[in-house]
Parts: sequence; C-alpha cells; structure tokens
Amino acid sequence: MADAHVAHGSDDHADHKPSFFVRWFFSTNHKDIGTLYLIFAILAGIIGGAMSGLMRMELMEPGVTFLTTFMGERDIDAASNFYNVLITYHGLIMIFFMVMPAMIGGFGNWFVPIMIGAPDMAFPRMNNISFWLYGASGVLITLSLFAPGYGSNIGFGGGWVLYPPLSSLKGSPGPAMDLLILSLHLAGASSILGAINFITTIFNMRAPGMTLHKMPLFVWSVLVTAFLLVLSLPVLAGAITMLLTDRNFGTSFFDAAGGGDPILYQHLFWFFGHPEVYILILPGFGIISHIVSTFSKKPIFGYLGMAYAMVAIGFVGFIVWAHHMYTVGLSVNMKAYFVAATMVIAVPTGIKIFSWIATMWGGSITFKTPMLWAVGFIFLFTVGGVTGVVLANAGIDHYMHDTYYVVAHFHYVLSLGAVFAIFAGWYYWFSKMTGKEYREWLGALHFWVMFVGVNLIFFPQHFLGLQGMPRRYIDYPEAFAHWNYVSTMGYGVTILGMVVFAICMFDAFFIYRKKAAANPWGEGATTLEWTLPSPPPFHQFNELPRFDKGDAKAF
Amino acid sequence: MHKLIAAMTGLGVWAAAAANAMTPGGIAMQPANSALAEEVHFFHNIVLMPVITGISLFVLALLIWVVIRYNAKANPEPRKFSHNTLVEVIWTAGPILILLFIAIFSFDLLYKEGVQPDGKQVVVEADGATTEFVFANDFSEGRMISRPDHLQVILADAAGERVLKRRSDYRVAGLGDAEVTVTFNTPPSAGDRVIIRGGRSIDNRGDIVLAPSVTLKVTGNQWNWTYTYPDYGDIEYFSNMLPDDQVSDLMLRKLEVDNRVLVPVGETVRVIVTASDVIHSWAMPAFAIKIDAVPGRINETWFKADREGVYYGQCSEICGIKHSFMPIAVEVVSREAFCGWVRDKQTEFGLERTPEELAAEPLCGDAGAVRMADAAAAAAR
Repeated sequence: MADAHVAHGSDDHADHKPSFFVRWFFSTNHKDIGTLYLIFAILAGIIGGAMSGLMRMELMEPGVTFLTTFMGERDIDAASNFYNVLITYHGLIMIFFMVMPAMIGGFGNWFVPIMIGAPDMAFPRMNNISFWLYGASGVLITLSLFAPGYGSNIGFGGGWVLYPPLSSLKGSPGPAMDLLILSLHLAGASSILGAINFITTIFNMRAPGMTLHKMPLFVWSVLVTAFLLVLSLPVLAGAITMLLTDRNFGTSFFDAAGGGDPILYQHLFWFFGHPEVYILILPGFGIISHIVSTFSKKPIFGYLGMAYAMVAIGFVGFIVWAHHMYTVGLSVNMKAYFVAATMVIAVPTGIKIFSWIATMWGGSITFKTPMLWAVGFIFLFTVGGVTGVVLANAGIDHYMHDTYYVVAHFHYVLSLGAVFAIFAGWYYWFSKMTGKEYREWLGALHFWVMFVGVNLIFFPQHFLGLQGMPRRYIDYPEAFAHWNYVSTMGYGVTILGMVVFAICMFDAFFIYRKKAAANPWGEGATTLEWTLPSPPPFHQFNELPRFDKGDAKAF
Repeated sequence: MHKLIAAMTGLGVWAAAAANAMTPGGIAMQPANSALAEEVHFFHNIVLMPVITGISLFVLALLIWVVIRYNAKANPEPRKFSHNTLVEVIWTAGPILILLFIAIFSFDLLYKEGVQPDGKQVVVEADGATTEFVFANDFSEGRMISRPDHLQVILADAAGERVLKRRSDYRVAGLGDAEVTVTFNTPPSAGDRVIIRGGRSIDNRGDIVLAPSVTLKVTGNQWNWTYTYPDYGDIEYFSNMLPDDQVSDLMLRKLEVDNRVLVPVGETVRVIVTASDVIHSWAMPAFAIKIDAVPGRINETWFKADREGVYYGQCSEICGIKHSFMPIAVEVVSREAFCGWVRDKQTEFGLERTPEELAAEPLCGDAGAVRMADAAAAAAR
C-alpha cells in the first residue's frame, strides 16, 4: 500500500483510504466493490468448475462409477442424487455467482463510472448493499447444498430451471429447495438494485458533452443489460415466490390438482431465463468491442450499429422465451411464432460479429493476450450462434431438445463465449485494476491450452446430442462412451489451462511484480480508464473530463 | 473399449436391434424410421448443416485473413475508416435472406409435425363395370380436399398387389365440394379393390397420411412408464428398465425394458402423453418426436413407423433420482403380430370384451385388413 501511495503523487491528498475493515466491508467505492465482486466470482468459479469436474469424471465411462466413491460403493441412488445436485448447482453458481458478478458487478462497477468520467456510482451505499446481498445469497445457496432435499439426500437435484412439480413438495420435500428460492430472491434483489444503480449512473453522471452516442460500447452493453435485469428479474422473483407459497402455504399456482399449471411456471421462468442469457453475454460484447478496437488501433467499425444491435438483441430477447419450451405441448401456431422471432436474433448478432471483423480489417493488430481471447471469442461465439439457429427450429428441436446438442450449444455461447469475454476483460484490465503486469507468454499459454481444452470438452457433445444422448444423465448406453471419454479428456486439458492461469496470476502478484504504466496498450486504447494511473486513485475525476469541446470522442 | 467392440460385432438379435439406435462413436442423427423423421434428417443434414458450416468457415476464413494480412508486422499503419454503408447493408440483408431460406423448410416441417394427420380412405370392391367412385369430402373447416394432390387413387388386386394410379388414369370432379367424384378412364377389373385416399396431410413422399388408427396412452411415473391401449379395452402395463445384470447385450444397457410398447407398422399412431407425479418427456429419436409428460395436462403427438424393429428412447426431462433409468423401447411389428399380441394381452389381463366391442376394434376388429369406415357410404352410390 505504501508503494501505491507514493506512486499516486499529486492525487494523494484526495486519497483518504479507510481502514481495512471499513474499506472492504462498508465499502462505498465502486472500484473496491468491483474488486469484491471479482473475488466473489473467482471463488464461485472455482466451486462451479470443480463441480463440472466431478460430473465429467462420472461421465468418463459408462456405469455409475465415480460418484459412488463419495456415497458408498453400492448406493447408486445417492450417487444419482449427488449428480443431479451437481448439475443444478453448477448451473446456478456459474450463472448467478460467477458470470453475472464478474461482468456486471466486477467489470461494470470498475469501469462504467470511469468510462463515463464519473467519480463513482450514483448510489454508492446501494452499491454496497447489492454486493452484500450477493454474499448472503451465496451463504443461502451453500446452506441449500447441505440441507435435506429428497428423502435422506441433501441438496436440490432438479436442474437450474427448478421446474415444478419436481421442485414442489411432491418432488423435493426437504428445505434445500426453500433455501435455494430464498437465495435466488436475494441474488435477484441484489441484481435489481445494481441495475437501478447502473441505469441512474449512466443516464445522469456522464462527463459534460458525453452524449449517449459518444458513450463507450461497454457502457452501452451494461446499460442494456441493466434494463434487461430490471425487467426480467421481478418475473423470476414472482415465479419462485409462487413456488415458495405452493410449497409452504398451500397455494397451488403450479399444481394441476389444485387448478394450477406446471407450464405456467415454465413461461414465467423463461420470460426471465431468456433475457438472462443475454444478460450474461451482452457485457461480454462490450468488452470484446473495446479489445478489438484497442489492439487493431482502429476505431470500432459501425459504432451506432453495434450499440443498437445490442438494444435490438435485448428487446427481441424478451419475446422469444418459449423456444425453450417447444416440447411442452404448445400449439403449432405458437411454436411457429417463436421460431420466427428467435431466428430474428441472428441478424443483430451477425451485425456484431461482422463489425468486429471489420474493425480489425485494415488495422495494425498486435496479438496480445486480451486480443487472443477476443478473437477466440468471435469464432467460438459464431459456432455457438449457428447451432442456436439450428435449435431455433421447433421441427428440429423435437429431436434435439434436452440432448447434449443443447448442452454443447449453450456452453459454446456461455462457457466459450461469456467466459472467454471475462478472461479477455481480465487480461485487458488486469494492469489497470492491480497496477501490475502479467507475463505475456503465460497469458498466451493460458489462452491456447484453454482454447484446446474447452473445444475438446464441448465439440464432441454436438455428436452426442445428434446421437440422441439426453442431458442430465448420470449413466448412458455404451454407444455414447467414446465422445464422453473425449469430452472428459478435454476437461483435463481445461484444468491444465486453469493451472496456467493460477500460475500466471501468482507470478504477476508475487514474482514478476512489474509495475504497469497508465496505458500499456498504446494509441489504440482511447477510453477514459487509460488516462488514469494504474491502479487508479481511490477517488478519480475530481475535475471532470470534458467531451463538449472539439470532436473529442469517448470510444 | 474391448467390451464395446465385442458388442459391436455381436450378431445376436439384440445387436441387430441396436443398429436401429445410436452407433458407438457416431456423429450423426439416429436412423430415421418414418417419413417425418426423414424430413427432419433432410432439414438438418441437407439444409442446416451446410449453411451453418459455411457461415462458421466463412467467419473463420475472414479471421485468418485478418490475422495474416493486418497484423502489426504486415500492416504497420492502421487505416482509420469506421463506416461503410454498403457492407453494413450486405451483412444485414444477407443473413435475413439465409434465414428466410431456412424458414421455408422449417415451417413446412413444423406444420407437418404439429398438425395431427386427418387423411381418410375409402375402399370399394370393383364390379368390372363401374367407373365412377365417390369420396365424401367431409373434413373439418379448412381441411377439405381442394387440389388434385389431396387425392390418391390405388388399385389392389386379389393377390394384394397395390398400384398407385397416375393422375392421367382418372378424372376428378367436385374438388372443394361436399362430394368428390373419381372417374376412371377404364373400369377397374372385377374383384379389384379401389382405394381412394384423401386429405391435406401429405408427407414428404407425397403420400397422404391417414388419421391415426391406434391410440397409445403414455403416462410418465417416477421412474417408469405406463402404457395404455384405450382402443382395446384399456390394456395397461408398466414398462421398467431392465437392470444391468439382466441385459444380455452391453449395447442396450440403460435402454432395454421389461415390457416394450408394441405398435403396428405403417399405421398412424396417436400418442397421448401425461404424467402422474412430476414432468417427464417421452422421446423417440427414430421417429424424431419428443413430447413432455406433464401432470394435469394431456399432450398429443403422432408417428407412422416405416419399418419393423425395436427402437429406443430415453426420458428427456429431469424427473429425479432415477431420471437416467426410465428408457423407452418401442417394438414396431406387423398388423397381424400386433393384433395377436393384443388378443394375448386381453386374455392375460382378463379383459372382458363383448363381440361388438371386439368387432369395432381398429385394425384388429371385423374390418380386418382394410379399414372400411366409409366403404358403406361409397358403395351406396
């Protein structure tokens, strides 16, 4: 800390850092809260990643062979329950406790205020409570993992979608499910407060002269994301509250025997759930835009098209939810509508992919680590996107639904899309956030090992899906053995990549310890965070940057 | 792996059955066993795969080109453009056109799947002189036959040989009206049976798919399936997965069941699906169908199997601890074998059936080999 103190020089008189406890537990500073979110996301990522490891170990060969190690040799039921619990919490943790906190809570908190030239978020105390609600939510989901669910088994094992009646008293009588609902309530409340904070900040605290059309694309992406959060999360909250009262207070919203309908839950869930997948990926779009522009030393191609493509994706994202429900018994005309609406999303997504390539076109590109991740993202997201077009067709989905094809598809857009964007952002802003540099070759090695690993995991899953292997299966016929084995090997390679990542980070903090310049990326990095020292002072922009003179641009 | 190869080369009945399902290390869809599944294959393999592969490779090629041509060494001085209206219009309009192309096939397939077939046939014995045959166009609103391809005329001789007549062999009058008349150029010979099929349910081979003749009720339970045949006095039984130690062939581990569900080949089978506890999903990849079993709801789908054999599916909606252990095994058999099995089951379960009920049973009743539902009306002319 003393080093950093000296380094800030003239800024220091404003740098009244509070004591450790007050700084990290009562924090109202957007950068500190962003850091807390990132630490939270890393911890959740380790847990969620370890869970996928257990699943892949189990699926390495046919037969229930691995999870029984934890559950007693012959207790297939307990092992099966454990497997179902793993798939459920892996999904929930990766979505709610890894990707969302990393992108919106972490990078969003860190860089939205800086990029728009604001000293902090609009509601710093609300920002604090957003984070700690997440903490409480994390505690509840952990409790849920160890609470009784079905019979003597612990945890809820019904998939992250929590469909009743499997999630109602009939399917999961124990308190695990109630704790899970309360956990999601808190996570939802946290995200709604955070989203309100971002919307207010972005609309009211931009530097003088920074119109919406001069705003960096990452800020645009967080703005759209915040609107999706505010509009979709209350619907989830409503659905799971109805589930809670069904379970505890004798209502029957989703119980056919009492006049309810299990399909109602699915409509409500996916009205949230589909925008949610854009919540997960849109900030990634923003990050990738900055990185591609920075390392190509070119302004982003088709800035307005890029911004409004995100708005379009966000809007259309709200009217396509039932494409997750093609097999529940919708009428054929309804399916036809959702097919058409879903395919429309391919158009703005295509605009983004081609605009990134056009940004690189004619550029002078340096392939530093963040750029490797960004280029990897563009290709892998394309692959995940085109399989999405396949699945959009209800006629095909009657074959593919709930098979590994779907698993492969959404891991290509999320695990290889959103997660690659997070790593891209991490390496891009690492020096800005920590004031330290990492070794370039270690970052690049991390990328290449992980690129091979995740493709090895997920590409064969397309084959399994085409062959008809259903998802959420602990055991399978021998015919599926080959590609499952390959997929598990891919997990091994990916873990190796994560080890390289850990080494790279350890090295950066404790061995390499190279101090980062304010702008290590050169002329291509044009947004405001690069005008501040690395790391930025505790409070920035005591004097606001101005965009109302000349043709100054913020992107 | 060795066990796997041994299983692949095994020549038993089981291994033959497995050829209908997934193949070890396979990368494509399971073999189709219905016209509809064939169309799904066509749509995926011929329409979608080339399109998505092409797009992915195109993006990859652009990226590789950019990496080679515009890296800092090859192009030290970046250009500064950030707009080009023409390419932006192209990459907006291009994808729209591709999607429209996909949509043509997609909606066609979707409506073929989603609309229950309602085709019907009239069978009349020819007397060697009559040339004019009548088909009652009594379909529901919007489903009446109104085009020549809504009608198929087939002649079956005494030996059972069937010939699909060409449209030049007969004239059709009254399309769109309450009665459609088929007039042959030359009268069919005496003893031949004239089969007239009509309807708007036309499959990808141009054949008119008849309305379902058999109904199969499927109920999902934690963790097995109940199969009911309401047409045959509610024959009803459970179907459980065979435990590993009772499966003779490794290939069918987790797929084989104690009681398979029997259906007749070549007949349209209506499947109605519900559940008794939580949501399950009845999936049959060979027919490209998958339909959720939801407690409190009745869902409906249909299939028409092309070939006899055993086909496997697995529960496709997570339903608790034994979700992985409630497979579906459909045995497609000839109509005769199916009816024999029906009679056996009726005896086995002690179902009391009156002669009238037995006579009225679809496929297996008095009507016998051909369905005569409308024969009387037609013959009256």
